[in-house]
Amino acid sequence: MTKDVLVIGGGIAGMQASLDLGDMGIKVHLVEKLPSIGGKMAQLDKTFPTNDCAI
Amino acid sequence: MLDVGRHPNIELLAYSEVENVEGEAGDFKVTVRRKTRYVEEDKCTGCGACAEKCPTVVPDAFNEGLGDRRAIYSYFAQGIPSTHTIDPDHCRQLNGKKCGICAKTCQAEAINFDKEDRIVELNVGAIIVAAGYDVFDPGRIPEYRYNEIPNVVTAIEFERLLSASGPTGGHMDRPSDRAVVAEIEALEKKVRKSQKALDKLEEKFNEPSAAFYKKFQAGQYQDDEDRQKWADKYAAHLAVIEPLEELKKKAAGFTVAKRLAFIQCVGSRDFRFYPFCSGYCCMHSIKEAMIAHEHEPETTSSIFGMDIRAVGKGFEEYKIRGGNNSNITYVRGRVAEITEGPNNNPIVTYEDTRERKVKSQEFDMVVLATACAPIKGIAALAKTVGVELDKYNFIKTSSLSPVDTTTPGIFVCGCAESPMDVPESVAQASSAAERAAEIAFQPELEKEKAVA
Repeated sequence: MTKDVLVIGGGIAGMQASLDLGDMGIKVHLVEKLPSIGGKMAQLDKTFPTNDCAI
Repeated sequence: MLDVGRHPNIELLAYSEVENVEGEAGDFKVTVRRKTRYVEEDKCTGCGACAEKCPTVVPDAFNEGLGDRRAIYSYFAQGIPSTHTIDPDHCRQLNGKKCGICAKTCQAEAINFDKEDRIVELNVGAIIVAAGYDVFDPGRIPEYRYNEIPNVVTAIEFERLLSASGPTGGHMDRPSDRAVVAEIEALEKKVRKSQKALDKLEEKFNEPSAAFYKKFQAGQYQDDEDRQKWADKYAAHLAVIEPLEELKKKAAGFTVAKRLAFIQCVGSRDFRFYPFCSGYCCMHSIKEAMIAHEHEPETTSSIFGMDIRAVGKGFEEYKIRGGNNSNITYVRGRVAEITEGPNNNPIVTYEDTRERKVKSQEFDMVVLATACAPIKGIAALAKTVGVELDKYNFIKTSSLSPVDTTTPGIFVCGCAESPMDVPESVAQASSAAERAAEIAFQPELEKEKAVA
């Protein structure tokens, strides 16, 4: 039996960590303080150095 | 983001906070408070009919206060989970006033004002802290006058202005101009209301207000109470129309911001605040200048900095591309002061360290590249979770184990550890995930060992 993992914060780092763990077959509980996940990156229009859309 | 919401192994606890953590690596007991949204998440379809009808207007935090939302709101349009939330600080119903319009509007019957916070107990093997960062408050630097000059904005505010889904739909409308437009709208509303009242009076007395007012001023009808009221109303109407016309004349000359200044190291590399380099600000200033130039090809930008730190794959080339193709000038020097000139134009005074001269230049808008500061609640969170902080209040790690906190079984990634950009955050997140997985798989590994 594998243990669960708790991730605190649903920004880009928290989301990436959750996805990696989830893909390994580990159950993740992702806690986010705000009503939606996304964090600061969701507020960005584009990201450098490729000017890709952030969302 | 969508993948996280859909992943079968991820339980999303949004609008929640960790209240208590006990135990040790491999066996933590965690208490999480699921704050009530006053909306049943499984019933809400995210249609937004409630927010259309809600009478309470609140500044929108997602748009950094540059736009409005209602007291019932979706944090942002593409937000996951796609459910609405009632803001208990502003909702009329929750503050003892009569309302409940959202509940009447909601066809899914998802609104429940009696819903309370829920406490969830979790048992986990490992914890990853990815609590992020706060934008440094530039109001702490008096010489930049962020709180006094409306056209001095932070980089994240500028990001919202650039965004097609932002408050200006991607147009570089200056905050001072937007304030004038908002004032015009408010005055027009007032004029429409008073015009309606005047129309009724004109119909009653069968005379245009202007003609009547002339007679009234000449001394007629002094004893007539109804006409006295009419005259007062007309005078008040005129008092609104004059400033309105003035503002409209002013607004006719408004264009989007075309001369931009970006000021680097606002709060970072500054011994009064944070001595460290935040790392990503040089790049986001170049990016914002490039995107602004894409939106409006006449845009010229000056980036004021001690040096431009373009350290990363493809970053230096990006900087040069910005200079060659996007009208960006890199000015070496630290800005001493920002003052306000005519037309709400900020004036930047700086020392050009190449020429050793003090210069002043006028811009349409100034963007401050604010430092990456630790989140406000980090001390409380670190205490709850049980990890140590470093001297700047980021989570303490060591250089040979950059995702391990001082407590075994608890890992950190992203800007909660130190300032970093998106690619670095993603790489560190994968690293922290792998470290956590080692613990999560521990029971299985031990079982295998026993069998062998």
